[in-house]
Amino acid sequence: MDITTLKIRDIRKMLDSKEVSSVEITKEYLNRIKKIDGQLESYITVTEDKALAQAEEAQKVIDSGNAKDLTGIPLAIKDNICTEGVKTTCSSKMLENFVPPYNATVMNKLDSQNIVMLGKVSMDEFAMGGSTQTSAFAKTKNPYDLNRVPGGSSGGSASSVSASLCAGALGSDTGGSIRQPASFCGVTGLKPTYGRVSRYGLVAFASSLDQIGTLGKDAHDCAIMLNAIAGWDSLDGTVAKKDVPDFTSKIGQSIKGMKIALPKEFFAEGIDQDVRDAVLKASEVYKSMGAELVECSMPSLKYAVPSYYLISSAEATSNLSRYDGIKYGHRSENGDNFFDLIANSRGEGFGDEVKRRILLGNYALSSGYYDAYYGKALALKDKISQEYAEIFEKCDVILTPTAPTVAYGIDENISDPAKMYQADICTVTVNIASLPAISTTCGYNVDGMPIGMSIIGKKFDETSIIQVADAYEKQFNIVAPRI
Amino acid sequence: MDLNMVQYLAKLSKLNFSDEELKSMANDMTSIIEIMDTIKEMDIKYDAMKNQNVYINDLRPEIKDDYPSYPTNVEEVKKEYRNAFLNELREDVNRESYPTEKILQNATNSNDCFVVPKVVE
Repeated sequence: MDITTLKIRDIRKMLDSKEVSSVEITKEYLNRIKKIDGQLESYITVTEDKALAQAEEAQKVIDSGNAKDLTGIPLAIKDNICTEGVKTTCSSKMLENFVPPYNATVMNKLDSQNIVMLGKVSMDEFAMGGSTQTSAFAKTKNPYDLNRVPGGSSGGSASSVSASLCAGALGSDTGGSIRQPASFCGVTGLKPTYGRVSRYGLVAFASSLDQIGTLGKDAHDCAIMLNAIAGWDSLDGTVAKKDVPDFTSKIGQSIKGMKIALPKEFFAEGIDQDVRDAVLKASEVYKSMGAELVECSMPSLKYAVPSYYLISSAEATSNLSRYDGIKYGHRSENGDNFFDLIANSRGEGFGDEVKRRILLGNYALSSGYYDAYYGKALALKDKISQEYAEIFEKCDVILTPTAPTVAYGIDENISDPAKMYQADICTVTVNIASLPAISTTCGYNVDGMPIGMSIIGKKFDETSIIQVADAYEKQFNIVAPRI
Repeated sequence: MDLNMVQYLAKLSKLNFSDEELKSMANDMTSIIEIMDTIKEMDIKYDAMKNQNVYINDLRPEIKDDYPSYPTNVEEVKKEYRNAFLNELREDVNRESYPTEKILQNATNSNDCFVVPKVVE
């Protein structure tokens, strides 16, 4: 069976028509993982026995005629989402052997539909990074070119979807960590509005920016997965009490008359020419479908990267204070007093990038620097949100490139953290303004590497951005990776 | 960033570094702070009192109806965004928590409790 072209919706049909059983399709994915994940390294933990057991249970539900959208569908879960009884490492030595005693809310929601979890996929350590190369366990590669990065921090999620090592995946996005790897790996990645999905059980990085989202072969699959995980949760005080619509409800509806804004700063010099050309070409396609293109500006874009890094590092330094090796996590063998035990545990458990962010966060929050750095970053957060509000007065959705480049070589940028931060320019404002956004492939460069574009929506308007992304995808020919 | 500052931050962060690691961090932090310093040119201050939800306060009244997905008044914002703290605290009743063994499962050094070096002299 060729599973490389299957979407979640295709598997649903095959399962419901008894063309294939959940165990059979699960085995196909497990075999493919055995065959190629050695090269790709997208999985940290493959839960083969559990997956097959889940598939058997799912089959009973299918046979009784009670299958839901995701019943029996094999999915991969990013390794910063707590899965009870299954190792959750956040790609860090700090949590190398951590087995959560509880399930994340999104996992409970997926389990209530009897999904099949194939395993936990790799990421940048504690979600800090854009290449997945800071992972302590699996430095994932790009399925289009094994010498290039898959992006990050949800690199394992994007890579496994792209290489068909799962039918869909969950990821998390704090500054672009779903959208950028989706664009580098040629798949679709959806970050919902802040407050759409519960963060209970998501290992916290920056609590005012983190969101769990979905990666799939197309926007329709991403929407199906979002339907399953969205909604109010009493265990997360930041989830909005809004009703959850059917995110697939506008798929297929004409986008004629919709206004699509292109903020000019996103198409300026810092973005590679081939990326700009591909996204502008896509905007022409939307125009030919009857959408109206609107010019606009976001003057504060040039401060987006420092604003994001100051806010996220300040929150991260606070969130990562819990890792002291006392109740869980790596505990050092050296340290005869309390301070040294903790400082050594943290020094040994954390990688360099995590340490840099912790130091930066404390710098931004420390006495004498607080107003100049963290205070200003918060003021910029307001300003950027305001600029988005002004743009949305004139349009329905916003179109931008997802990243300034295509996936780069594994050894590039590795010694220049500051340069890597600048590469987040296209994605971070969306998290700062708490908006939803979806990245989909809009072209390939001369080396065949995917180029991604992002559609940004108003708060809680995932339905429209899914509709707009899907409209493009229906007429675009995806070139699958040859792996 | 000079070494003294990195050492001070390392202490605040409870991170122990070797001398080489410290020097390497100082180098990295210098180029990172250069980027962060660009925000100094902006002349803005953060107003904590104002920061409810920028959208509702900044949309002009005559266009608010065009954007049904935005809450249109502060009460609605409170209902949607701050429900947990304003009007949704749960009943103050005992609920089941986790059994001790489950909580100790991930601890490296435990004896029916978490064992730590002496803290109080």
